[in-house]
Amino acid sequence: MVLPFRFEPRPKPSPVMVYLSPLMALAATGVLALVLFAAMGLDPVSALVVFVTAPFADLYSIGEIFIKAAPLILIAVGLAVGFRAGVWNIGAEGQLTVGVIAGGALALTYGSTGSGLLLPAMVVAGAIGGFLWAAIPAFLRTRFNANEILVSLMLNYVAALWLSYLIFGPWRDPAGFNFPQSEPLAPAALFPIIVEGTRLNASVFIALAAVILGWLVMARSFVGFQLDVTGMAGSAARFAGFSTRRMVWIGMLAGGVAAGIAGVGEIAGPLGQIFPTASPGYGYTAIIVAFLGRLNPIGILFAGLLMSLLYMSGDAAQMLLGMPSSTTALFQGTLFFLLLACDVLINYRIRYVPGVRVRQEAAT
Amino acid sequence: MELSRRRFLGGVAAGSVLAASSGLPRLAAADEVLKVGIIHQGAISDTGWEYYQAAARLALEAAYPGRVETTVIENILQNQDAERLFRQLASQGHKLLFGTTFSHYASLKKLAPTVKSAHFECCAGITASDNLGIFEARHYEGTYVTGIAAGRMTKSNILGWVGAFPVPQVTYSVNAFMLGARSVNPDAVVKIVWTNAWVDSAKEKDAVAALVAQGADVISGSPNTPVQGLAAEEKGVWAIGSTGDFSNYVKKAQLTSFVLDWSPAYLEAAKAVMEGTWEPKTRWRGLGESGFVKMATHSPELPESVLKEMQAAEQAIAAGKLHPFSGPINDQNGTQRVAAGSTIPDDDLRGMNWLVEGVQGQLGG
Amino acid sequence: MTDAIVSMLVVTLVAGTPLLYAALGELVTERSGVLNLGVEGTMLTGGIAGFIVTFITGNVWLGVGAAMLAGAAMSLLFAIITISLKANQVAAGLALTIFGTGLSSFAGKEYVGRSVVLEPSSLTTALGQVPVVGVLLGKLHPLVWLSWILLAAVCYFVYRTRSGLILRSIGESPSSAYAIGFPVISIRYLATLFGGAMAGIGGAYVSVIYAALWTEGLTAGRGWIAVALVVFATWRPERVLLGAYLFGGVTSMQLFAQGAGFPVPPELMSATPYLATILVLVLISRDAALIRLNVPVSLGKPFHADA
Repeated sequence: MVLPFRFEPRPKPSPVMVYLSPLMALAATGVLALVLFAAMGLDPVSALVVFVTAPFADLYSIGEIFIKAAPLILIAVGLAVGFRAGVWNIGAEGQLTVGVIAGGALALTYGSTGSGLLLPAMVVAGAIGGFLWAAIPAFLRTRFNANEILVSLMLNYVAALWLSYLIFGPWRDPAGFNFPQSEPLAPAALFPIIVEGTRLNASVFIALAAVILGWLVMARSFVGFQLDVTGMAGSAARFAGFSTRRMVWIGMLAGGVAAGIAGVGEIAGPLGQIFPTASPGYGYTAIIVAFLGRLNPIGILFAGLLMSLLYMSGDAAQMLLGMPSSTTALFQGTLFFLLLACDVLINYRIRYVPGVRVRQEAAT
Repeated sequence: MELSRRRFLGGVAAGSVLAASSGLPRLAAADEVLKVGIIHQGAISDTGWEYYQAAARLALEAAYPGRVETTVIENILQNQDAERLFRQLASQGHKLLFGTTFSHYASLKKLAPTVKSAHFECCAGITASDNLGIFEARHYEGTYVTGIAAGRMTKSNILGWVGAFPVPQVTYSVNAFMLGARSVNPDAVVKIVWTNAWVDSAKEKDAVAALVAQGADVISGSPNTPVQGLAAEEKGVWAIGSTGDFSNYVKKAQLTSFVLDWSPAYLEAAKAVMEGTWEPKTRWRGLGESGFVKMATHSPELPESVLKEMQAAEQAIAAGKLHPFSGPINDQNGTQRVAAGSTIPDDDLRGMNWLVEGVQGQLGG
Repeated sequence: MTDAIVSMLVVTLVAGTPLLYAALGELVTERSGVLNLGVEGTMLTGGIAGFIVTFITGNVWLGVGAAMLAGAAMSLLFAIITISLKANQVAAGLALTIFGTGLSSFAGKEYVGRSVVLEPSSLTTALGQVPVVGVLLGKLHPLVWLSWILLAAVCYFVYRTRSGLILRSIGESPSSAYAIGFPVISIRYLATLFGGAMAGIGGAYVSVIYAALWTEGLTAGRGWIAVALVVFATWRPERVLLGAYLFGGVTSMQLFAQGAGFPVPPELMSATPYLATILVLVLISRDAALIRLNVPVSLGKPFHADA
């Protein structure tokens, strides 16, 4: 098909487009939402208004936005560290689960002591758990060249089965009539609520700290520089003496630690108990958040809040508009796709070239 | 029943002032609509667990046309989300909220005492608590009766059970199945294969294949879809519609079935909220009037004599004369668990974690 | 006893077939240098398309056709974004998976828990009459042995035709191929579309024949295993066959093992296909030379005609 447009490479990537692209993708998703609402027989504009405003209905709901965004932001910051270096950690879901296992083990064993050290210890344990689970693909990649995408992904399924085994077995609540859940976590093992009347708890501070730390590392530290160079031009990096191995380890472990802590945040937060499924897919959504946030911690902060809003809006769409439950997943996937499409404008610009016939194969 | 509207309003208005001051959610006027919120863990389809919940909701809407408005939310898998949604439904004026699965129980137990503007009911919860009623079916009564059919119709004396998860509800169901079969056929055994999923069609199909390969000629389980029945039909063995009737799909191989009917719970709870008399109740019912378990179909190939045996058992259970778990009952290791002449207490059933003699397989984990 | 063995064979073949289709398709795509990680999302989209059409028309082959179209459409989106718009292939593949999963859930909303009941294909009944192998063939849907024919065709195409040679050369060095005058972009598009169509068939096989029922996330990671299979097979079609049945077997055998009374915790059994995938990846990948010899050199890198 011959169109009178051509993609022309830009002399250098457009910084404006880097931040404009997600907004364009968002707008495009909004247009698609209007189309979808109309197709479902709703008045598109008022449906969109409901969709956008419902999450802000009351204080509790606003608290929910933050409590859902916190794990997404935390994990995405960790993942972004790796993505920048071309290290693809797709195993955040499993690393989160192992964080749950590690933190949960502590909570169940020492919960009754009521010690003030329990919660910090759980966070550390979660970090170590996620760390170790991410170390497996890192090790297999550096030592055996095994593709980290596939290994980390497979480990997601294994971690889920491991947690299931624990909950159905040794960790079953003795007072729970053999139902598959752990006993409720002792108060010493729970994050304190910081805003009365909501579920907002202190774990949001960890997410904020991650954003700040991530920014410091990536924008201001030498390691951050190494990661970037490795991602952009691997051979140049090696030439400069940056160890690819080290980059793989750092990249994987950052995501693992973040995901593990996020796991503890879930069981010591809104869940307050351990179930066979602790995560609503945060490990995968965080990947979208990382990209949406341009692999930049500040951007991720906003992207995480946006993604959380999308979840809330999706629920509202079910409750108030009668839309099917898969609305959220559909919008998230569409947004991601459109984002990638709009991203091309960072490196290319569209030129209108009337009257020029361009052959398919020679087109860039 | 015609009530003069003005008189009714007058009476109710006085009552509602009282009710409002005592903080109870109550309908203020005869024509005020009761908003009911229901959250489903999965998607509603035309068979299976969610279907029967939805059927009860439809029965509720039919019983109180124009007086009940329902909001249904599907596919809420995670507890964090369920808790948020229950709360949001309550703050949107829903006065009666239903959780439809055991997984909601933990969230509701936490939430119900703090939300005074609504009452909560949870299906498959454990026990009622502050502002939370629960209702659960005595599945084992249904599986016992189907066990009789299986015990009589098996030629290999090997029955198969596709186990979803080793939770008490499944454990007592398979145990009762065995006991029912052995009540007519002391040589029968039950083999279990665990799929670790409530719905996983490929695994369920393979599980049926594995059981048939071991010689099972009657397959039961906790099917939520027709897959097990269809797989059994393909292999030429019998399938039992346990907690569901799949005869729309499984045209030839469904030996017998029982369904879950939650409408008594939905209706009773709604009525109580409308009248202002709601209190947390534990409803654990099986066969019989206002029960949650109803025997459904039987295959034309089922002999009249077997059908009569099943019906006799059904009536005896409904009347309280027969308890499927009447002693003496031994577990797989031969240890006596229920003494002769006694029946098992409810609490032991709720937490059942052992398999009866004759069941081959473990509880896993 | 033979009944049990036939049963196990059937289960293995059935479990391996969707993997075989998806992996063969991905292999061709990767041979052209394009890394498409969206196989899982494509399989699901093909699965729901095939399911809906079969449900409505009662005709499996129409369903398979619809699945191929749906799969090709999904991979067309991917191709536009990665080949023409030169986006990062890994990210685009992930986006495709997430999008495909959401789209299939959305489209399949009315069909959750529904079943398709099919009459055994007349071909299958006919083949069941064949002596000896008939016992096995009579239990398999034609799509199973069609996958063998497909495998042979792919092998022949890749190794023995000029077009296959061109495909491979594009995968190894697209700039050289371009200089010679081969249509790199077109061939990459075709290879990607083929991969999508095959993944679509694989998904439809699961939804229409294997499970004969639709639920969300039906493929349960098979798309990812298919991608791993391509690595396992070191990009050689004939080895994909071995891998597909090996993995299919591992997935199903654990249920037979339970039935036979093996006392291993079921969760561990369920984990075996995933652990096996990791093990296999490690064994294959550790020989870096082996990988370097076999992996298409330009895999995952966007092609710039003017680079």
